[in-house]
Amino acid sequence: MMSTSLKPVRGRAWLFGDNVDTDQIIQGRYLTLLDYSEMAKHAFEIPRPEFSRNVRKNDIVVAGNNFGGGSSREEAPRVLSQLGVGCVLAQSFARLFYRNAINIGLPVLMIPNVTHSVNDGMTLDVNIIKSAVIIKETGETLSGQPLSRMVLDILQAGGAVAWFRKVKESRK
Amino acid sequence: MGKTLAEKMLATHTEKGKASAGEIVDASIDLLMVHEVLGSRIIPILKEMGVKKIWDPTKVLVVNDHWAPASDTQSAEIHIRNRQFVKEQGITHFCDVNCGICHQVLPEMGLVKPGDLVIGSDSHSTTYGAFNAFSTGLAATDSALILATGKCWFRVPESMKIRIKGQLPEMVMSKDLILKIVSDLGVNGANYRSIEFHGPTVESMSVASRMTMCNMTVEAGAKCGLMMANDAVKEWVTTRNPSAQWTPVAPDKDAHYVADIDIDLDAEPLDPIVALPHSPANGKPVSEVEGLHVDQAFIGSCTNGRLEDLEIAARILKGRKVHQDVRLIITPASQETYVDALRAGYIDTFLSAGAVFTNSTCGACIGGHLGVLGPGEICISSTNRNFRGRMGHPDSKVYLASPATVAATAVKGVITDPRRLI
Ligand code: SF4
Repeated sequence: MMSTSLKPVRGRAWLFGDNVDTDQIIQGRYLTLLDYSEMAKHAFEIPRPEFSRNVRKNDIVVAGNNFGGGSSREEAPRVLSQLGVGCVLAQSFARLFYRNAINIGLPVLMIPNVTHSVNDGMTLDVNIIKSAVIIKETGETLSGQPLSRMVLDILQAGGAVAWFRKVKESRK
Repeated sequence: MGKTLAEKMLATHTEKGKASAGEIVDASIDLLMVHEVLGSRIIPILKEMGVKKIWDPTKVLVVNDHWAPASDTQSAEIHIRNRQFVKEQGITHFCDVNCGICHQVLPEMGLVKPGDLVIGSDSHSTTYGAFNAFSTGLAATDSALILATGKCWFRVPESMKIRIKGQLPEMVMSKDLILKIVSDLGVNGANYRSIEFHGPTVESMSVASRMTMCNMTVEAGAKCGLMMANDAVKEWVTTRNPSAQWTPVAPDKDAHYVADIDIDLDAEPLDPIVALPHSPANGKPVSEVEGLHVDQAFIGSCTNGRLEDLEIAARILKGRKVHQDVRLIITPASQETYVDALRAGYIDTFLSAGAVFTNSTCGACIGGHLGVLGPGEICISSTNRNFRGRMGHPDSKVYLASPATVAATAVKGVITDPRRLI
C-alpha cells in the first residue's frame, strides 16, 4: 500500500478533456497483469501514449468533467499512483473512480473550471486539505470544496486498508 | 417526508433502520459477488489487511467468468487462486468457468430477492435492481473490506424517477429504451444517483428486459437502477429460491425525487437506437447510421445475452445467411441460457446461418478473447460499453445496439433497421 501523507503536492500538469473513461486510463485487456508496475506501463495508452514514460513523481492529472467513468476497476487509480501521480484534479468525477482513488490513498479534488485555467505542463502547487491550487506560471489560485472528514481520514491513513488496520488496532 | 426505494432498501440494512438521501450510512451486506478481481486484486489486499477468515462464507458468490475458460496463463493463474480461496474459506456459492456471466448466474442461482442489498466487484452489479433489490458495484478494496466485516459505508443516493408507459413497437427492445434514456441523461446525468423506474411498461416487462435496463443505468453514472417487483420477478424468485422469505419494497407516495421524467411510448413511438462510438450516451435512431459497413457483429454479455435476446436473433436469422463480409459471434449469458437455446433450436439456426456460437463468458465484451477487434475494425454489439479500445484495438470502433439490430446488421453486412427483416 502506498502511503500518502497529505503534504502539499507540487508537480507538472497533464491535461485531459471531459469523460475520460476507465478504458482510457487502463484498458480491460491489461487487467490480468498481476504486477502493477507492468500494468502501469499501459496507463493512458490510448489518449496519451507517452504518459507512462514521461510522467514524474508528483505530477498531477488535470481533467474536465466526469473523470473515470465506466468500469469499477480499481486498477485505474492504482496505475496512476504506481507511476507516482501526486493527485488528480477534475471538474467532476465518476462515483466509482472517486471512491476507488480515495480507497487506495490517491488524493482527488473537484476543482471547478480547472481545465480553463491550467495548460498542459504548467507547474501546480496543490494543498489537498484546503482543496486549493496555485498555478505557478500565472499566479492564479483555484479552489474547490474541501474533502469530507471521512475522506481526509482515509487519505491521511494512506488508504482504506491502512485506515481499517488503524481502526482495528485502536479497538484492541 | 416519504422515502424512495433506495432509502428504504438501505434503511433496513442499517443498525438504526434509517437512511436519508445525502447521509452516510454503514450497511450490512446480504450478498457479495466477486469475479476474477478476487484472485488478481482482492486476495492480496486481504493479506495486507491480515484477514484470515472471511465474515460469512455463505454470503459470497465467486465467479470465474471474464476469461472463461482461461484465455492465457495469467487468467489461468487468477482462476487457480479463486478456486483455492473458495476451498480454503468454505465458500458455498462458486461458479467456475462452466457457469456463465456473473450478473446472469447470480439471479439464476436464486441469490437475489426483493429488498436485498447486493454488492458486486463489477460496475454492472446495478443489474439486480431489476429484482427490487439495492445493488451496486464497488471495487477491490471495498470488496476486501466487505469480505472482512460484512459491512460497507454508503452515501445514500438522491433518486430520479422515470415513469414509462406505452408499448415497445415490434423489433424494438428494452435495450433501445435504455440507450435512449442514457443518451438523454448523458454519461454523468445520473452520477451518484439512484434511478427508479416506474410505470406500466416496466411493470409488464420480462425479467430479462428489466435486467438489460438496470444493467445500463451505470452508463449514465447511476449508483443503482431500481424497479418494483412485478409478477415475473415474483415468480422468478419463488421458483429459484422457494424457501426464501421476502417482502417487496415500494417507495412512499410522498417520496422526494430530484428529477421526474415521463416517457410515453404510444405518444412518441421509439425507433431502434444505435449508440455511436465512443460513448453509450451517443444514441441515435438507427436510420441515421443505416448502411454503415461492419466487420463484426456480436450478441452476448450481461446486457443482452439472455434467451429472449437469442430468440429474437434466431427469428431474424432463420432461413437467412450472415453476410460474407461479416463475422457474427454469439455468446450466451450463461450455461443455462446455452442449454435453453439448444433445446429451442436457436443454436441450429445460428450455425446454419454461419454464425460462431461460443461458450458463455464475458469474452468479446471486454476485449478479452473470442472476438477481439483488430485495427480499424467496426463492430456492432449488443453489449453496454463502446469506449475507445473496449473490445480490442484502440483504433477499432463499437456501435451499441439491440440484439435485433445486431442480427439484422449481420445479415445485411451494413447497419440495418431490424424492422426491415420482419
Ligand atoms: S459481460 Fe461485459 S459488461 Fe458484463 S460483466 Fe462481463 S465484461 Fe462486464
